[in-house]
Amino acid sequence: MIPNTDQHSQDDAVLPTSGPADLESVCRSVAELARAAPKAPSRIKLRHGSTTVEMEWTAAPAADRPAPAEAGPEQPPALPADGLDHLCAPMVGTFYHSREPGTPPLVSVGDLVRPGQAVGILEVMKMMSTIEADRSGRVVEILVPDAQAVEYQQRLIALEPLVPAEDG
Amino acid sequence: MFTAVLIANRGEIALRVARTCRELGIRTVAVHSTADRDSAVVRFADESVHIGPSASRRSYLHIPSLIEAARQTGAEAIHPGYGFLSEDPDFAEICQVNGITFIGPPAELMQQLGDKAMARTLMAQAGLPVLPGSDGALTGPGEAEAVARQVGCPVILKAVAGGGGRGMAVVRALDELPRAFTETRAHARTVFGDERLYLERFVDDARHIEVQVLCDGHGSAVHLGERDCSVQRRHQKLIEESPGPSLTPELREAVCAAAVKGALAVGYVGAATFEFVLAPSGEFYLMEINCRLQVEHPVTEMVTGIDIVREQLTIAAGLPLTLRQEDVQPRGVALECRVNAEDPARDFTPTPGLLTEFVPPGGQFVRVDTHAYPGWYVGPDYDSLLAKTVVWAPDRAQALARMDRALSEFRIDGTGLRTTVGFLRQVLAHPDFRSAQHTTGLVEAMGRRRVG
Repeated sequence: MIPNTDQHSQDDAVLPTSGPADLESVCRSVAELARAAPKAPSRIKLRHGSTTVEMEWTAAPAADRPAPAEAGPEQPPALPADGLDHLCAPMVGTFYHSREPGTPPLVSVGDLVRPGQAVGILEVMKMMSTIEADRSGRVVEILVPDAQAVEYQQRLIALEPLVPAEDG
Repeated sequence: MFTAVLIANRGEIALRVARTCRELGIRTVAVHSTADRDSAVVRFADESVHIGPSASRRSYLHIPSLIEAARQTGAEAIHPGYGFLSEDPDFAEICQVNGITFIGPPAELMQQLGDKAMARTLMAQAGLPVLPGSDGALTGPGEAEAVARQVGCPVILKAVAGGGGRGMAVVRALDELPRAFTETRAHARTVFGDERLYLERFVDDARHIEVQVLCDGHGSAVHLGERDCSVQRRHQKLIEESPGPSLTPELREAVCAAAVKGALAVGYVGAATFEFVLAPSGEFYLMEINCRLQVEHPVTEMVTGIDIVREQLTIAAGLPLTLRQEDVQPRGVALECRVNAEDPARDFTPTPGLLTEFVPPGGQFVRVDTHAYPGWYVGPDYDSLLAKTVVWAPDRAQALARMDRALSEFRIDGTGLRTTVGFLRQVLAHPDFRSAQHTTGLVEAMGRRRVG
């Protein structure tokens, strides 16, 4: 299983944080995220009460799909501009959220996943294989509906990377 | 007829197949690797599926991904193009099991004819002339030597599963045989996953003549005439033409009739090419049968006016041939030059690079089958074919002049990129080629002269 990050950038990133967080640690995370991004955010909005952080980048034209010219094929994935990692389809197939019809999904939004954890099932020519996370993070969005056809490297699950303290 | 066809290939041939599908009103599904995400066929096709990374074995050779892509897009048939899985009987069979039509011969037939030693035996049984050599695959170097002693040197060792000019060695003296055997066997094992070899007499100063055959599933077969593919380097073709300039009408009739006889004898279905060696004596021998669309099929299309891909699709859909032999009336001369991203000065080493400029020729009676465009990255993962340049003219002299004019129009530039254009023009100007006296040794001889 080779879930992978890719480098699509999005204009906005919303980071809902859960649990009690003090203002200082939120600020530290925001600063880290801003530094890690390929360019500085044009706007940061922070609400302290049940903590919401919004960061905005001005969209770079056509940053979406690098021309083979500048990049060549299969350049190593750069850090995504929106701060999110993505678990991607390792092959063409059908993506399922759960092991069996009618059973609960393997992961849901808000779940914390660890490397090696099963996050979905891929059916390729009637063979079921488990899609495992290759990194840790918190599930922000399941991008593909259950039982839908996916292509190679299609983004399946968006993950919010964990800050090192939380990861360890 | 099919409503949707998946094209399990890339480059110029994927685009060429997609074009015929479009003309027939068939929905086209392209598949592509990561490196090919911006390819010409992806842009052209009605739909495309990203099937894997750049490495072929995980994309264009990865059967489960292709079957899944066909299933997802509702494609009823798969056209394999040439190379990749086009001659893989397992793929043909898996398509069938999954209810998808493989556009090519039945798996079992492909298995038999793809085994070159078996094809040789089958064709000899059908009454076609084959070169003296081993009966089936060789058991070891001992048998190779015994057979070589019997047929006389020079001999050629060939991989049973070989193709594309790879996995063969010419042996001129018996004491060279043990080493050649070991090397060719190792090569065959690595490249084809099958180390079996066979051996036959090698004909010096031979010409390579091949016959295009079409057979439907109802017992009808026609030939579309022959192609002369004698301009080769390392057993790979560079220039092809139709008709064969050295054939008398009687010889042409005989070689084409032999191909049709061979195809009918094994109950062939689809498009096939029967490759023959034409000896200086005027005798011809069957070399092998290719169960796929050939790279050089456009020269036959240009002289006959028949779209071979269209015929493949029609046959695969189970329809009878509408062509009768008397409908096939080749006219004039067609020539194809393969413009490759290679450096002729460095033994035709492939030169990957980014195309900064790419302007193909045009004008009267010129056809260029290419997937290239400015900004296209010619990657290291696939073969170096850049643009097949095909011309038609009423006679050979005009065709040669037209080809030279067309090649001179190419504007190709790119970082690190070299092409065969200049070299092809040298071949066109060579007295042996102009007078059609050339043999398969021409390119090698030109190389020797340049070095010497």
